[in-house]
Amino acid sequence: MMPQWRLLDTGLRSAAENMALDRTLLESAQAGACNTLRFLRFRPSALIGFHQSPSQELHLEYCREQGIDVSRRITGGGALYCDEGQIGWELFLDRRTFDTADMLAIAGRVCDMAVQGLRRLGIDAAFRPRNDIEVAGRKIGGTGGAFDGEALLYQGTVLVDFDVERMLKVLRIPREKLADKAIASARERITTLNELAGGRIPLEAVQEALTEAFGEGFGVEFRRQELTIGEQELFARYRLEMASQAWVYETDRPQLDVATGSALRKTAGGLVRAMLLVDRPRERIKQAFITGDFFVNPKRAIVDLEAALRDCSCERLPEIVEEFFARHPAQMLLLTPADITAVIGEALARANAVAS
Amino acid sequence: MGAVRGCNIPEDLSYNVDNNVWARREADGTVTVGLTAYACSLAGEIVAYTPKKAGKDIAKDKSCATVESGKWVGPVKTPVSGAVIAVNDAVASKPGLINKDPYGEGWVVKMKASDWDGESKSLKTGGDALKAFDAKMEAEGFKGC
Repeated sequence: MMPQWRLLDTGLRSAAENMALDRTLLESAQAGACNTLRFLRFRPSALIGFHQSPSQELHLEYCREQGIDVSRRITGGGALYCDEGQIGWELFLDRRTFDTADMLAIAGRVCDMAVQGLRRLGIDAAFRPRNDIEVAGRKIGGTGGAFDGEALLYQGTVLVDFDVERMLKVLRIPREKLADKAIASARERITTLNELAGGRIPLEAVQEALTEAFGEGFGVEFRRQELTIGEQELFARYRLEMASQAWVYETDRPQLDVATGSALRKTAGGLVRAMLLVDRPRERIKQAFITGDFFVNPKRAIVDLEAALRDCSCERLPEIVEEFFARHPAQMLLLTPADITAVIGEALARANAVAS
Repeated sequence: MGAVRGCNIPEDLSYNVDNNVWARREADGTVTVGLTAYACSLAGEIVAYTPKKAGKDIAKDKSCATVESGKWVGPVKTPVSGAVIAVNDAVASKPGLINKDPYGEGWVVKMKASDWDGESKSLKTGGDALKAFDAKMEAEGFKGC
């Protein structure tokens, strides 16, 4: 008989409740609870990563006006907006479920299974290291994790439907500076199941496909169950704690630490424009946007490069661009990787020169 | 200088092997705590660091700092109980220092240990530590740093 793991579906909830359930179930896993797959959904919520600052990542004023929940995850990664149109999946596992302790390898393994789940729906999804699930270069889900002792939590989202315009209003990405067509530009980088399928895919079908894929990947069967009494008690405590300002704003840092810089250059291969968000005290590129009228094939090379630059340390910029094009050769006519590095480098210098 | 499967494991430090952390008692009696080279290798590049605040009392095997790498968030568990007396500002601005120099500039917190003599007995050091790390790496299918 195959091992049986627990399947939990905690339905549509507030951000604080979902964060509290993450903490509850990770703690429970550490105390030896059965491995668990949880599906979750969110009322409109803006979620930042554990180490992120709400003021730096979110338009808090807009969130307040619109009644959008703001919370901080216990997992890593970047800020995101979610609402009823996405499905969250989470695995709470004993680390020894895997034959490796390498965290990147574990994340890759789980993401590959989630990808198999989407393929069951006829979607040509793939895992893009480090943490995206994409279709033809467009992101359809993000992932992140947390661990404590021998317990792991790895989670991801699947965009079944998505409100790009709202995301642009919630997240502090410099949309006005990026391009005149910020929404079109975001849409080039994001896709949804409904868009790809050309119709509505029922949420249940997505959950079923993911459940089957994780079942097959781990060689287990899932049995639908509820929270234990002990978990319910923990949840009651954490739902208050994680709704508090103290939790959400514990890591708040001044907005001025993050600077933007952009550069535009006419190269032999065409016009290249780079726009960067830089975390200056930490000397890290938070996000890079590269646009222009240059030729590139495959087209997705540029968004994949943007993904490779996410959260990278500034000093590694030339190295990362070079490595990227060595691994993913692209035709760019007269444009060279060195040109791209030069434009991004100029944007970086501008961001660092902004008075704080 | 000790090493196991290419990972530097200095023999003069005291380790909690399960939690992949080290402690060193300094000449002034304070204790420095950090992650092992093996922990760094498993984690990949560390990109964020949030230590507990100076002054905070922390029990043995509880979190004295939280770090993030490759979107994973996890605790650094102090090998001995005590109060945090210093956090590492250099690591706060460049968390990758932990990977570069886990036993030097990349230390995680400094503590005033409440019972070093009692608690440090359960930590492994020297050849015992090397053996215990080798067994851990074997069980975790680790090829090498």
